[in-house]
Amino acid sequence: MLGIALYLVFFLIVVTIYAILVMGLNLQWGFTGLFNAGVVAFYAIGAYGTAILIGPERPELIGGFELPFALGLLGGAALAALAGLVVALATLRLREEYLAIATFGIAITVQLVALNFDALTGGANGLIGLPRPMFGYFETPNLYNVCYLVAVLAIAGAVYALLERAVRSPWGRVLRAIREDATAARSLGKNPTAIRLQAFILGSGIMGLAGGLYVGFIGFVSPIDFLPILTFQIWAMLIVGGSGNNKGAVLGVLVVWGLWTISGTLISQVVPPSLQSQAGAGQAIIIGLVIVLTLLFRPRGLIGEESVVSKHVRAARVARDNPSSS
Amino acid sequence: MTRLRLTHLAAAAALCAFGLPAGAMAQDCEHPIGAVLSLSGSMAAIGSAIGDAGQLAVDHMNEAGGLLGCKAAYRLRDDQGQPSIGVDAAKSLVEIEGVEALLGAIQSGITMPILTAVTVPEKVTQISCCSSAPSFTQLAREGGTEGYFFRTLPTVRPQGFVMAALAKERGYGKTAVIYVNSDYGLSLAKAFQEGVEAGGGSVAVMVPYNQEQASYRAEVTEALRSDPDSLFLVAFPADGATAMREWISLGGAQNLLLSNALRASEFVEAVGAKYLTKAVGIDNAQVAGPSVDAFNISWEEVFGEKPNGPGLHTMYDAAAVALLAAEAAGTYEGTAIRDKVREITGPGGQVVHPGAEGFKLAKEVLAGGGKITYVGATGPIVFDEFGDVTGPYLIWGVGEDGSLTTVDTWSVEKVSELMAKNAK
Repeated sequence: MLGIALYLVFFLIVVTIYAILVMGLNLQWGFTGLFNAGVVAFYAIGAYGTAILIGPERPELIGGFELPFALGLLGGAALAALAGLVVALATLRLREEYLAIATFGIAITVQLVALNFDALTGGANGLIGLPRPMFGYFETPNLYNVCYLVAVLAIAGAVYALLERAVRSPWGRVLRAIREDATAARSLGKNPTAIRLQAFILGSGIMGLAGGLYVGFIGFVSPIDFLPILTFQIWAMLIVGGSGNNKGAVLGVLVVWGLWTISGTLISQVVPPSLQSQAGAGQAIIIGLVIVLTLLFRPRGLIGEESVVSKHVRAARVARDNPSSS
Repeated sequence: MTRLRLTHLAAAAALCAFGLPAGAMAQDCEHPIGAVLSLSGSMAAIGSAIGDAGQLAVDHMNEAGGLLGCKAAYRLRDDQGQPSIGVDAAKSLVEIEGVEALLGAIQSGITMPILTAVTVPEKVTQISCCSSAPSFTQLAREGGTEGYFFRTLPTVRPQGFVMAALAKERGYGKTAVIYVNSDYGLSLAKAFQEGVEAGGGSVAVMVPYNQEQASYRAEVTEALRSDPDSLFLVAFPADGATAMREWISLGGAQNLLLSNALRASEFVEAVGAKYLTKAVGIDNAQVAGPSVDAFNISWEEVFGEKPNGPGLHTMYDAAAVALLAAEAAGTYEGTAIRDKVREITGPGGQVVHPGAEGFKLAKEVLAGGGKITYVGATGPIVFDEFGDVTGPYLIWGVGEDGSLTTVDTWSVEKVSELMAKNAK
């Protein structure tokens, strides 16, 4: 039983890191309607940024600043936000599918830069021997994992609280107004371009933060960590969980990532050894099936967006329904 | 919403039900041997056969009477070509299944995070059949692997040095290098450059290319611009043929050096044998000998075809080394296995070969307090202090009829000598 608990800690760390990533996307797509198909680019920039800032000095590499992890993490997030600014300035005039294609291209570009800029990223071999924050202070690696889980949960909680507050603020209502009808928002005196830019940068920075946490957890980074399929997985998590709702985003990560990994454990135990080589394909089918079924039967996701926007409306409705209690 | 919760509950119940047999099985005394390989994803074409090779070794061990008085159970997991999934699979094998010896992965970018995030912290011995990146050697040198990492695939570094020696021997003074931009290609090209420079020469130009492009005209043109007298092409067959055709049509020299992956008839056919008669290439020598035959014969018995394909011999050896080291250790425990790996492959013991017979002999000798030397499907295996092996190599050429010929062989001793000379 202890083994299962230790595995779950490990599993939850990855889930929490992806949850931060999905919340970043949720801000961009769920609330602002920006179709970012290059999620993995910002995740990669955060990861490499952190890795370069905290990594050990090596003669053949630029970087290796050996900074404390917290600084590296913030640096990685800041770099991702900066990349978000550059990308947004270049592409935010594009609408929906055009923005998707442009950002998808950027994700491929970032991955190719990571693969080819040997002096900075270590090329295909990646960056090795990255220190895991405070690893030496713990007696066992599993105790360390528990503490790392607590730390990433705290960071994810902070991101969640920040986003919940932001999307319920007047600024958050403008986001949704722009998503639904940018022209109408403009007619009310809002500046959709500026607001889109802010949402894109904030979302990208959050994605970068997730990348940095992944590096701290694994202690290694290489281009194969940032294949385009990861963008697809992150989108699947958001769509299954429910875009436009941060609770849905988090639940989506749990369900999709759980399915993606636990189905492997199940298959390895249920399928006879002689067929295990074929079982991988079965796993892919199960994953696809669940995503399709969710889309068919719960198109808004497991927890869809809340339909009440203003707390005043809700308060008024409560007051009307229960006149005696107020 | 209620219906949704019900389905969730049902799923959870199913999970528990499926989870139970594992617990029940453990009482029948099993030692699980874990493997994480790419059964789907970009390496799927070779992954499942490699998985079979591991299974074969475990089956042989069970035929020979099992592992430490129990059954050896092969637990194969798919990494889908993604590091995050491979790491998760490895963690679940180690924590839930109780794996103490883990085989895999195929791609270095997956093997490495499993090593740093799972096997080293958990003190599990990891043996890879297929990861060739030099970063493992570097990490081992820095102490990052704590000795838990081994690989049965000879690293590409010596290959680069042998090719450099070959270029010098043939009088090529200005070689252009076009290489596939992966950990494999980069390492081989860099080692070649290092070898050429150690020999007092220099490389004309190093040009990386990205896989699966329709044309490599730009890369070839860039290489030709430096006016090279020869070309070292580090590539896989399909892309390599594309690049080679462009090299020849643009007037590149036919003094060709080819990497191991190009030793394939599809490459020769696609380029045309008449352009390749002056070419020489390198490959891991399939050392002939009774130990290799023992593996080849038992593979044919089980699968009805010859074991042609990358990673089969090295995967079998990875599994065999893990199993025999555990048997020698007398306990199924990662650190004990790690400490026995060099002992069971080192010289001076009773020589044992692949197959159930060989494993039976090994078990008898070990039970009697003796020492064994496992000579595997890839011949003798000697792990250096970083867990790497050096292999014997063969130098191949192309006949006028397009057949692949063996021009020369480099024994392990000759390769070691060359490496020692370059290290100075």
